[in-house]
Amino acid sequence: MIEVSDLYRDWKEFSLKDINIEIKENEYFVILGPTGAGKTLLLEIIAGFYFPDRGEVRIAGKEVTNLPPEKRRIGFIYQDYSLFPHFTVEENIEFGLKLRKSASPDTTRKRLKEIMDWLGIAHLAHRYPATLSGGEQQKVAIARAIAIEPSILLLDEPLSALDLRTKDYLREELKKIKRELGITMVHVTHDQTEAMVLADRIAVMMRGRIMQVGTPYEIFNKPQDEEIADFVGVENILSGVVRNNENGVAEIEVDLGCNIFAISDYRAGAVKLFVRPEDIILSESRGESSAKNVMKGRIEALDDMGSLTRVKMDNSLVALITKQSRESLGLQKGEEVYATFKATSVHVVR
Amino acid sequence: MLKKLKRSKIKIITVLSSLFLAAFILVLIICVVTHTTLPALITSILSEEIQFAIKLSLTTAVVSTVMCIGISIPAAYALARYDFFGKSVVNTILDAPLALPPLVAGVGLLILFGTTSFGRGLADAGLTFVFTPLGIIIAQFFVNVPFMFRILRGTFQSINPRYEHVAETLGCTEAQAFWRVTLPMSKNGLLAGSIITWSKGIGEFGAALMVAGATRMKTETLPISLYLNMSCGELNLAIAAATILIIISLISLFVFERYGGFTRVF
Repeated sequence: MIEVSDLYRDWKEFSLKDINIEIKENEYFVILGPTGAGKTLLLEIIAGFYFPDRGEVRIAGKEVTNLPPEKRRIGFIYQDYSLFPHFTVEENIEFGLKLRKSASPDTTRKRLKEIMDWLGIAHLAHRYPATLSGGEQQKVAIARAIAIEPSILLLDEPLSALDLRTKDYLREELKKIKRELGITMVHVTHDQTEAMVLADRIAVMMRGRIMQVGTPYEIFNKPQDEEIADFVGVENILSGVVRNNENGVAEIEVDLGCNIFAISDYRAGAVKLFVRPEDIILSESRGESSAKNVMKGRIEALDDMGSLTRVKMDNSLVALITKQSRESLGLQKGEEVYATFKATSVHVVR
Repeated sequence: MLKKLKRSKIKIITVLSSLFLAAFILVLIICVVTHTTLPALITSILSEEIQFAIKLSLTTAVVSTVMCIGISIPAAYALARYDFFGKSVVNTILDAPLALPPLVAGVGLLILFGTTSFGRGLADAGLTFVFTPLGIIIAQFFVNVPFMFRILRGTFQSINPRYEHVAETLGCTEAQAFWRVTLPMSKNGLLAGSIITWSKGIGEFGAALMVAGATRMKTETLPISLYLNMSCGELNLAIAAATILIIISLISLFVFERYGGFTRVF
């Protein structure tokens, strides 16, 4: 649906380098990256607000690199909603409909009502944007964008300025839009949870480059390098050397002075190992676990993070455990525990 | 109580300064307005000469303000939105008339329109600026256009280009996005700029005097009338002109503060 190839653009403090992505029809595609990675600029180039220095953008097979935005039929939603302050909610939503010469006033009214009912904002019709809450404003912005029946919806950090509850709610609304309207959605965010919950596929972007593209599972469990691993919350990054490999199970000697088993084809040489903190199970005794890797350690810190607790151990491992298991184990600082994780939970890269 | 006063010596001194300044301004205005009697003032205002001056002032100021709007909207938009070669130089030059004494501006305009082939060409085409009401308009325009320009530049800068971007995705061309979104969002700035340009136009004296001269019943705007009547001792007429100028200034100031308090002129 959207193909970006060999795209370059320098713009003030941002630059995009060698961008190649292919977004499929009816896909929910998330571009995930830290602030300043150039995510918004990429989205704005897809929309046609800026033109690339080099490279090509194709939409539905047609080259649109130099086509102005009004000819692309793309809906765009900004973090700050950008509702027109001098129009009411209704006038904002009608804005694009009225610009279409083909639409009669009757069909415009009908469509307007349909969308407002669907998003549950009909009661706001005559209010001005300044009087709405953040969540309401974002719903109006969504309504305005989908009113013109775009084939693509671009969302620039659409949930970032909202409180947690509204965020959860709007996340569901976005899913609903994709499901019921069949629009291709490209969503830019720095929020991992958002990416994980919404995305069919994720592209990780850093310093103006696309670093990795994959399903949420691949991105979060099989990051390609240490930098991506660090960004997507893999807190256990270990260095080691492969000593042995039997039937695809590698035995790796890590700096901590023990051996870790991992599913990998590497037979020798230096490697990096990634283990997500939520894949580590803590127990008081070695126990009878089917998991391949057991490491003993002393608890250095217990950080309460609401429903989860982050446990830091003196062997540098970090585990995320639920409040319930923290209580049932009665974990205390200074206590010795066993950290257990499966060989399949270890991702190995060169 | 005494202790408290001692501690806030700064407060006493600063508040007294502000009161003194306010009193000075107020006394000055009252002096002008109460210099003649009310019936004499009304008779003067209704005199043919003052009526002429009022009309000439109002029309020249309206025309020059419209000219200022016409050129400032595109110019201010360019400087607020785009980067181009020589932008900072252009910015500085556009502010220059603010610092230029109006008399100097007037001399420049007189030379440009009176002695150059450009000026003679315009005169041949029927546009004579020297010693005509057209000269008043061009003088007001030149001296006051920086006010309009600066207010609009600030206004456009304060409007995020994202509004235009969104409008374009909804089907607007760049021009439509400007017309339907940016311009309506600038209405306070436009109003404030128009008011200040217009009221400064009404009061424009130095540059207008140079270009258009001070001819009774021909290029006699309110300030020129004040000057002419003062010089030949027609005190009542002079006070009438001054009173009208004061009223216009105060009303303009009120409207400007109300709608344009946020915009930066300097």
